[in-house]
Amino acid sequence: MAEKLHELAAVMEHIRPHVVFYLGPIPVYSTVVNTWIIMVLLFTGIFFLTRRLQFIPRGPQHLLEMVLQFILGLLEEAMGKEGRKYLPLVATLFIFILSLNLSWFIPGMKPPTMDLSTTAAFGVTTIILVQLIAIKKKGLKGYIKHFFSPVPFMFPLNILEELVKPVSLSLRLFGNMFGEEMVVTILAILVPFLVPTPIMLLGVIMGLIQAFVFTLLTVTYIANFIHGH
Amino acid sequence: MLGFIGVGLAIGMAALGSALGQGNAAARAMEGIARQPEASGDIRTTLLLALAFMEALTLFSFVIAILMWTKL
Repeated sequence: MAEKLHELAAVMEHIRPHVVFYLGPIPVYSTVVNTWIIMVLLFTGIFFLTRRLQFIPRGPQHLLEMVLQFILGLLEEAMGKEGRKYLPLVATLFIFILSLNLSWFIPGMKPPTMDLSTTAAFGVTTIILVQLIAIKKKGLKGYIKHFFSPVPFMFPLNILEELVKPVSLSLRLFGNMFGEEMVVTILAILVPFLVPTPIMLLGVIMGLIQAFVFTLLTVTYIANFIHGH
Repeated sequence: MLGFIGVGLAIGMAALGSALGQGNAAARAMEGIARQPEASGDIRTTLLLALAFMEALTLFSFVIAILMWTKL
């Protein structure tokens, strides 16, 4: 039992991001390097995909259009025709988070979403963007008024709601991906042969669902502000 | 040793609560789909959203358990 615990501690040490190199005084962790690699792969992939666009889509273009159509449907269902202009933001979030989640197919790569820093960055930037959209949509006055909306003494609760949003967004993504990885590694320590495979399969579905949930919540937050209380 | 028990209890009890909630939600959603298959798209989206919120509660506890465990 004790040696299993030591093994587990070693695994935790392995999962934790390590410093790859120093950029001046700033340490650059493996999470950031992995994210850069995914970004380069995504960028070149999409670049070459969109060079020869056809009117009747075939092959990979078809797949990409299917994803975009799906997200467009989500947006239009939530806020009608107005939702169209948020497609670039939301679709980028979905595709980027999905490829980060599924990046453990690349040997030697740990999904950057397993690190709280990545998901916290996602959560905070998304919520700041949502607030900016709300200010642009309602004007500064309407935005501030919204905090006092049903009755004035709801003000602290409304502020708390806005503050909790990035926390829950980032913790959800981090917890799911990290928990998945932990379960797989612990199973691999206990029974190394074949047993972790179905859990890994579950991890693929989990990565998809979590990327979808993140996008869905972003859409819901934007729609909440646009339709207003 | 007590610390390990505490970590296990924290995550286990959180999982118990959200498992009950998620099971209830999923059961009702399936009933709804069985009764009205044409509304399955709407139900699925709403269900996923609701499940995500319930999941978050367990994950908070999971993060706390991890924090406690690293302090042990």
